[in-house]
Amino acid sequence: MNSRLSYDVVVIGAGTAGLVAATRLAQSGASVCVLAKGIGSTHLAPATIDVLGYAPDLVSAPLDGIAALTAARPDHPYGLIGTEALTAGLDWFSTTAAAGPYPGYGYVGGLQRNMLFPTALGALRPSALVPETMAAGERSGLTRVCVVGAPSLRDFHPSLCAANLEAAGIEARPVSVELELERADMSTLGIARHLEDERWRAQFCARVSPMLRAEEHVGLPAMLGITDPHVVLTDLEQRFGRRVFEIPTLPPSVPGMRLYEILRSALRAAGGRLALGAEVVSHERDGDRVTSVNTHAAGHDHTYAADWFVLASGGFASGGIELDSHWVTHEHVLGLPLAGVPGPGEARFVSDYLSDQPMARVGVAIDADLHAHGVANVLVAGAALPGAEPWREGSGEGLALSSGYRAAQVIEAAAGAQRTEVLT
Amino acid sequence: MVTLTTDVLVIGGGATGVGVAWDASLRGLDVVLVDRHDLAEGTSGRFHGMVHSGGRYAVKDPNAAKECVAENAILRRVAADCIEDTGGMFVTTPFDDPAFADRFAQGCAQTGVPCEEISPAQALRQEPRIHPKISRAFRVPDASIDVWKTLWAMAHGAQQRGARILPHHAVTAIQREGDEVVGARVHDARGGEDLEIRARVTVNASGAWAGQIAEFAGIEGVRVFPGRGIMIAMNHRLVNTVTNRCQMPTDGDIIVPIRTVSVIGTTDNRTEDPDDQTVEQNEVDQMLDEGEKLVPGFRDARALRVWTGVRPLFEDAKAADTDTRDVTRAHALLDHEQRDGVRGFVTITGGKLTTFRLMAEQTVDAVCGQLGEARPCTTKTEPLPGSESGAHYKLGERLARKEATLTQEQTICECELVPRSKLEQAMSRTGSTSLDDIRRQLRLGMGPCQGGFCIYRATGILHELDGLSAQAADSSLMAFLQERWKGVWPVLYGNQLRQARLDDWIFHGVLDVEHLPS
Repeated sequence: MNSRLSYDVVVIGAGTAGLVAATRLAQSGASVCVLAKGIGSTHLAPATIDVLGYAPDLVSAPLDGIAALTAARPDHPYGLIGTEALTAGLDWFSTTAAAGPYPGYGYVGGLQRNMLFPTALGALRPSALVPETMAAGERSGLTRVCVVGAPSLRDFHPSLCAANLEAAGIEARPVSVELELERADMSTLGIARHLEDERWRAQFCARVSPMLRAEEHVGLPAMLGITDPHVVLTDLEQRFGRRVFEIPTLPPSVPGMRLYEILRSALRAAGGRLALGAEVVSHERDGDRVTSVNTHAAGHDHTYAADWFVLASGGFASGGIELDSHWVTHEHVLGLPLAGVPGPGEARFVSDYLSDQPMARVGVAIDADLHAHGVANVLVAGAALPGAEPWREGSGEGLALSSGYRAAQVIEAAAGAQRTEVLT
Repeated sequence: MVTLTTDVLVIGGGATGVGVAWDASLRGLDVVLVDRHDLAEGTSGRFHGMVHSGGRYAVKDPNAAKECVAENAILRRVAADCIEDTGGMFVTTPFDDPAFADRFAQGCAQTGVPCEEISPAQALRQEPRIHPKISRAFRVPDASIDVWKTLWAMAHGAQQRGARILPHHAVTAIQREGDEVVGARVHDARGGEDLEIRARVTVNASGAWAGQIAEFAGIEGVRVFPGRGIMIAMNHRLVNTVTNRCQMPTDGDIIVPIRTVSVIGTTDNRTEDPDDQTVEQNEVDQMLDEGEKLVPGFRDARALRVWTGVRPLFEDAKAADTDTRDVTRAHALLDHEQRDGVRGFVTITGGKLTTFRLMAEQTVDAVCGQLGEARPCTTKTEPLPGSESGAHYKLGERLARKEATLTQEQTICECELVPRSKLEQAMSRTGSTSLDDIRRQLRLGMGPCQGGFCIYRATGILHELDGLSAQAADSSLMAFLQERWKGVWPVLYGNQLRQARLDDWIFHGVLDVEHLPS
């Protein structure tokens, strides 16, 4: 069975970049469909908006850091995206989050300075914007902290987290509480669901409260609710009588799932469509234009025709870009040319784990407006961009957000120009 | 300086050395074993995990084949729990000389290798993924063995009989008094102290490093050539039977199913330095190409890890010096009293894992000879601790165990199904704060995710259990990540590269390991 659908824009990939681009385009009146093999990186990531954390030293002000970085490395994607799109994108995101599906739950921070937040290991990680559920963990406001975990939570280890925070000069103390659970281990997601049950939550607080000491903030693994985090947070703060914050830990990421939900509901509200389980398996071209892509899912073949395509299918981690066993790299979805690929005889990786890995910066070759090389109507956003190493730079969400936002701007402008042409 | 006194000092914690310690302990001798690293961190932990039936040597080296036949049968009894009875197969692929099959069958008959020819159709029913155009197939009793489990079982057995097993103790000098070796001085790399060990006999069981140790004793001419070979672990059991190409032994012609993976090996390059762990790009390509010949589609599986092992090849003056595989794989026992007039010192080197028990037996016989004591060997019949029931390890056991305690016990490593209790036991038993040591004992982090999920958990548990400082826990984590990367990056492609990037995401993006305070 084959069906043919037409849109103004088809976005490939349902991570932050793809959802932002699609939502912005839908909001501007375009008909938009997001096609994705599966959910994107949101469920893996801490859901903080990291714009630029390290370059390679700690960056205190993201905008200044970006200026220095793009001056030194003009090929860095921030140089192509521009800080205007970044600033506008972050503003848009803050507004969208605040108006999102979680009443009272929003993001705090901005581009002026990086804030530092504890990781599950107790390292301090720089972010520009964070969910309000993490805000009280900010380094500058953190002098005393009680890090709370549970033996049944294998994905969070309060003693190690506290010890590293101590080493960083924060008075930190681990506490472990037995939880009322039906099995010996549970993910943060499982506990997030429990915490939304008021009785369970009251019991949990009754166990933790006696262990708290004066003037301590309470650090918990990121699990403060999945449908109503604001209620869970404020209730815990009330019961404990002090500030409470989430510490991101191993996937699945509860705050990441909230981020996904914020973006997905914004897309829906704007009239955009999202098809998961819709892997693009082939495409058609007419000259230098991609005319349609084909998906194969559950026995149904669909063809999606569009004027514009946004490729937000990610890098090596998502499978958007692959390196085969003959050491050849490919862009998996549309077969686009890549940039930054080490040449024959050059190192793909180096033996020191913490060194720059040449392969890590490979991405789809683009020009200044995020146009993919070789095709006229495909824009590239997110981790498919070349020239960055997002998780080591602490720039993943900043790049995703701003490039998604920028791609939408470019398409809007071009479509506007086309309309003008038609009118004249 | 602390001085230990013992009957036998064993230098080298590989299969041979630990085998000597186990054998000597069973004979009632007091033993101290030292290794500069962990047990089985040298050649023994760096092979494909195969117990030979003898088939591989049936044509080329009949004596080695006969030794394998006997030792295979013994190991299946005494180390039953460490062995998976995978069985083995020799198949003639379209890439092999069809005439070799008859020579193979004849060689097996002459050397006593149990061998049964089956039809290609039968072979393909048993192993559907092997090349569909095989023309001949033979069943032999090859098997796979968990070498870490084997060595630690022997080490614990020896410890129960009073032996002191000292990993991470490097020999800095061999003590000689005139024509007699009286022990060694060792440096405890973890504790930072030097120890004096006085022994009635010192056994040099340091494999490819035997020449270096012999020189410490002032003995020249013990020439052991390191023959370097790489192996690659693929994420599936591509075969469930040890699968060999039916041809003269060459590179990349064996795939060994072991635990959850299959290992292809190996290459052969002579090197000067036994610590040379180079992995050449062309070797990787060669293994992947050879894998395709045995199992079409081999390259589509995920290559988890590559490692290099060095065969200890004792120099034979008659051998050509180009291909180290032509230097004999037989072992060499040097009684330095007879050879050099130096008493109290014995070197055992060469050989292969399948024959380690025999090597240990002959070595301890020589030790007893020097001591002038008659103590019969019992390792042919005495089971290793854990192998008393005689039942072989079965891959499905771990899942059965896991399901039995599914709701009561946490699984720390999902790939290798390591439960929390087992991890905690290993941490307290070994007293080691090295996650890499624990990896070797439990296979923690050896599966497809290469520690992406379990290593943060294990670091947290280690920190709490051992009351470590943040700095000690952090460095153990970082050392693990670096050690892991060493085996990962040369074979990183396809879905395993996706996995590695996900792991980077966790370690950098979520945990920020690069910016820990300590």
